[in-house]
Amino acid sequence: MPASVKKITPWRETWRQLLRSTGRHGRAFRASVIGLAAAAVLQGLALACVVPLFVAVATARDGDAALAWLVAMSALMALATVCRWLAQGFDYRGRMAEATHDLRTRLGEQLRRMPLEKLQDRRAGEFNAMLLGSVDENLAYTLTILNLILTALLAPLACALALFAFDWRLALALLLVFPAIVPLYRWRRPAYGRGMRALAQAHQRTSADILEYVQGLPVLRAACQTGEKAERLRAGFAHLEHIQTLGHRKGARPNLVVTSVVELGLLLMLAAGVAWAVAGTLDPAILAAVFVIVVRFAEPLATFVMYTAILELIETALENIETLLAVPALPVAEPAAGRPAAHDVEFDDVRFRYAQADAPSIKEFSATLPARSLTALVGPSGSGKTTVTRLLMRHADPQRGRVLIGGIDIRRLRPDQLSAMISAVFQDVYLFDDSILANIRMARPGATDEEVEAAARAAHCHEFIARLPDGYRTRVGDIGGRLSGGECQRISIARALLKDAPIVVLDEPTAALDSESEVAVQQAIDALVRDRTVIVIAHRLSTVVGADQILVLDDGRIVERGTHAELIAADGRYRAMWEAQQRTKSWHVERHGHAGSPTAP
Amino acid sequence: MPRTEAGQGGAWRIMRPVRGQIRFAMALAVASAMFGLAGMGLLALTLHRLMAAPALWPWESALGVLACTAAAYLLRLTAFDQSHYAAFRLETLLRTALAERLARVSLGYVQDAGAGALAKVVYDDVKALHVFVADSTPLYARAYAAPVVTFAALLWLDWRLALGATAVLVFGFAVLALAMRNRGEMTRLYNAAREQVSAAVVEFVQAMPVVRTFDSGESTFGRYRRALDNYLAVVSRWYREAGFAARFAMAVLNPMPTLAVLLWLGAWLTWTDRLDFGRWLAVLLLGTGMAEAMMPMMMLKHLVDRVKLSIARIEQVLAAPTQPATGQAGRPVDASVRFEDVDFRYGEGGAEALAGVGFSVAPGSVVALVGPSGAGKSTVARLIPRFWDVTAGRILVGGVDVREMPAETLMRHVAFVFQENFLFADSVAANIRLGTPEADMAAVVAAAKAAQAHDFIAALPQGYDTPAGERGAFLSGGQRQRIAIARAILQNRPILVLDEATAFADPENEAALVAALSELMRGKTVILVAHRLNTVRDADRILVFDRGRLVERGRHDELLAGDGTYARLWRSHERAQSWALGGRPATEAR
Repeated sequence: MPASVKKITPWRETWRQLLRSTGRHGRAFRASVIGLAAAAVLQGLALACVVPLFVAVATARDGDAALAWLVAMSALMALATVCRWLAQGFDYRGRMAEATHDLRTRLGEQLRRMPLEKLQDRRAGEFNAMLLGSVDENLAYTLTILNLILTALLAPLACALALFAFDWRLALALLLVFPAIVPLYRWRRPAYGRGMRALAQAHQRTSADILEYVQGLPVLRAACQTGEKAERLRAGFAHLEHIQTLGHRKGARPNLVVTSVVELGLLLMLAAGVAWAVAGTLDPAILAAVFVIVVRFAEPLATFVMYTAILELIETALENIETLLAVPALPVAEPAAGRPAAHDVEFDDVRFRYAQADAPSIKEFSATLPARSLTALVGPSGSGKTTVTRLLMRHADPQRGRVLIGGIDIRRLRPDQLSAMISAVFQDVYLFDDSILANIRMARPGATDEEVEAAARAAHCHEFIARLPDGYRTRVGDIGGRLSGGECQRISIARALLKDAPIVVLDEPTAALDSESEVAVQQAIDALVRDRTVIVIAHRLSTVVGADQILVLDDGRIVERGTHAELIAADGRYRAMWEAQQRTKSWHVERHGHAGSPTAP
Repeated sequence: MPRTEAGQGGAWRIMRPVRGQIRFAMALAVASAMFGLAGMGLLALTLHRLMAAPALWPWESALGVLACTAAAYLLRLTAFDQSHYAAFRLETLLRTALAERLARVSLGYVQDAGAGALAKVVYDDVKALHVFVADSTPLYARAYAAPVVTFAALLWLDWRLALGATAVLVFGFAVLALAMRNRGEMTRLYNAAREQVSAAVVEFVQAMPVVRTFDSGESTFGRYRRALDNYLAVVSRWYREAGFAARFAMAVLNPMPTLAVLLWLGAWLTWTDRLDFGRWLAVLLLGTGMAEAMMPMMMLKHLVDRVKLSIARIEQVLAAPTQPATGQAGRPVDASVRFEDVDFRYGEGGAEALAGVGFSVAPGSVVALVGPSGAGKSTVARLIPRFWDVTAGRILVGGVDVREMPAETLMRHVAFVFQENFLFADSVAANIRLGTPEADMAAVVAAAKAAQAHDFIAALPQGYDTPAGERGAFLSGGQRQRIAIARAILQNRPILVLDEATAFADPENEAALVAALSELMRGKTVILVAHRLNTVRDADRILVFDRGRLVERGRHDELLAGDGTYARLWRSHERAQSWALGGRPATEAR
């Protein structure tokens, strides 16, 4: 999702995106931009008054006219200030803050709606967190930038048009010099983009090198390859600097070249103006006035070019926001009449491929999980076990086949209906920075304190919770590291128990625990799986010998299925795994530094 | 717009390595501004001469304008080039300095700070400096120099107009100061609200799978919304309180009011013949720039404020305490390890992780460290390679205090295999050869064979030359572990520390892994941390830890007979092993 090389968005599109992003404040936003434009035009007209003023003072020696033009100029300036003042009210009356607030709320809702598949990997997580975190920061400067752009473009334009009343040649010259910068700016951006690509690649490499270096520090240090000896890292840095320098010559400098066009134009205007004045066809006072005006225009233009960096930040942010908002939620096809009566689960010829993967993670996957049965998924890592559970929870839809609960395709269930039927316990536990009570209760907001406590007791966590300083009211953030992995896991099981869903997914809930915690968690799980349809992912095969059926997966396919006894008798893949595991169980280090060779069972 | 307090001290400090070049760039920028002003003066002169004698070409002054403009332009270009090159250089220098610092701090520091967070400092935070160093420094120089010189020029041209222009600016800044009145408190509130939003965002996004499973997101989303609401309230309040003054100041500091004052005042003075038209013209061309040169400075604050946090983080890492190494003591005499009355706590005032731990491991023996989670066994293992230094007592390797030998010597005596195995984005062969660059291919293959890794490596598309991919992603945990073991076999160091080396292997890999470990341990002094007890039964000695203390030591049978912590752990272990889901225990066919 994060685009390393940005493509260029037409300004029209950026404008539309801005209107969409400001949501219900879109009209006010448009009005405020119009206000800024009016201010810029008025400012240009006010400046144009300098011309007749100079003529009145220097050439005509007409005091009344001079006074009149001074008053006109002041009035126009005052009007421009009022317009800008009102327009900036969008920022200062907090409209912009409200708009970004709405936008972030919308983005949050979108995250709740979009397929979980898109949020699963870490990079997507970090990217979205960054996006949501920086919305206001990026959009807050929109009006400031727009004000700069409009002042830089419209004021010279309005002024030049007014100048036609005094000297058409100078007016024309002015028209040619200032608006020229806009096409020039747009024109050099693609070139800039090309330079950016090489730069983005070099940056990516450095970023990866650094991450690798820091993550690998223990290993690198053990190998004495850190600091000055980290040659790969140093080579990467040198390469990046080289590309940056090159990129600066090709990419960043044109920014200044563009401004230089304006300066060159001004010099030409001066030469022409002097020539006309010497020839007697131009009042030198007009020329003087035009230069007083033009000096006013040069600065905002230069400033504008300087701030294109911020403009690009805004454009990128808008792009990313649109992309995120455009991800469709998984559709609910012709909702089922009622909720499923039974809670058996069926996978019907399912094939699924992750968006970024080249090969399907699951193929021709068909299985029936009768209600209140225990089904185990076993197989090597990467064989598709977790994908099966994700499809059941509808993190994504399969490309082929169906997943049914109680005979109803889960695509016909509303997300809340589906989620109400499934509890899950994962290997990694996530506890929220809230009270323990709230962490358990989130599974069923209506639950009473007694019900929460009952769930906690059943999950064998009441005892240690009661020992905490504030009991159930203790905030997880306050005790953070003091909860052991097993304790966190039991809280998450209490959560699942309270939810009381008929289907339970267990993804290696004890893999990361030591034996003592494991026993307690095992007891908690026993309470959770009673009388439910259970699907469990297990590495240790002995934990699932009692399963009603064991599905052995390899490379996305079911290669064997049956009960433990049947699979042992079949003498296939499962039996080989079982025997391998039994062997390692009896492996242990031997005295005097010799490890015992694995003994056959 | 509310912004965080900007102290630029740190910003200038961090540029020290390229200070010379930056100063040069700033000097060029100042020179460019001077030429620009001179160009304006000459322009006024040109126009004035033209008005005085309309039929004559004002050659000298017109050419002067041309020369000054060209000089100003070229100087500005060079200034920006210099500041950019300096910025690129600074990135490289800072990253190198950071990488070297990280090589000398305790690994515990790296672990506590988190590899991801540190990598972010080295990459993102350093990158964030660019805007400030490259783009802002020349502008700053100009923003400070131009108003002063302009003011001097105005005074020389006409003191009344100079005062008029200055009065407008003073008024504007006075109002601005009024707007900033409450800044300290508001900044604090604002930052607090922002942090709250960030925390809520991170929680909301990271926990999304859990959120979806357990509620429709009500409670988490509620927290997210509350944080947003609070933020909105703070921002709105800031706007309400400071909005008028800020907007007013902006309106005044805009060049237009200055221009109006100069036009009115100048027109009156000129009309009453107390001011020469040429001087008035010069003031008009120069004077309004005073306000303008300051405007970019105010805008830049936004960019600079973003950089400030980055600078703080970089400086923090650069100041991280390094591990002292006297490096004077002799080399270890044998492969023994000895803990003498070791106390250890994480950080100042942290909880005591180890207290009074003392034991010794004879060369060539196998010692297992066991205990409930949080007992300190992994800490013991990690103190040997100096992830941290002990709070009291000492650790001897081969009779020498680990703090008194050079890091290289220590590393040449001890090999480590941890749970998490790290492969580099290099070939498989290079990954095995890491730390023993002199090893030839035959030695690499022999090590891989001993580590049960040769077969799967040979089956890879490019064999030993296959790139290990992004952190070895396409290799299974067990395969990566065996490559790490091959590396340790090749390194062939006399002391071996294993931290639950078989934890994450799947069943089929586990058997191969076990064979690889057996090969690795041959003839070594082994210190083995075991979270599961099945592997340690036959260790020469088992050290049992509980809450940071060494509570029992002995052989398996002795400890079981003692009926203490170890016996309890062993019973849990047996029970956990025989558990089967659904209350149908394994009928193990052993």
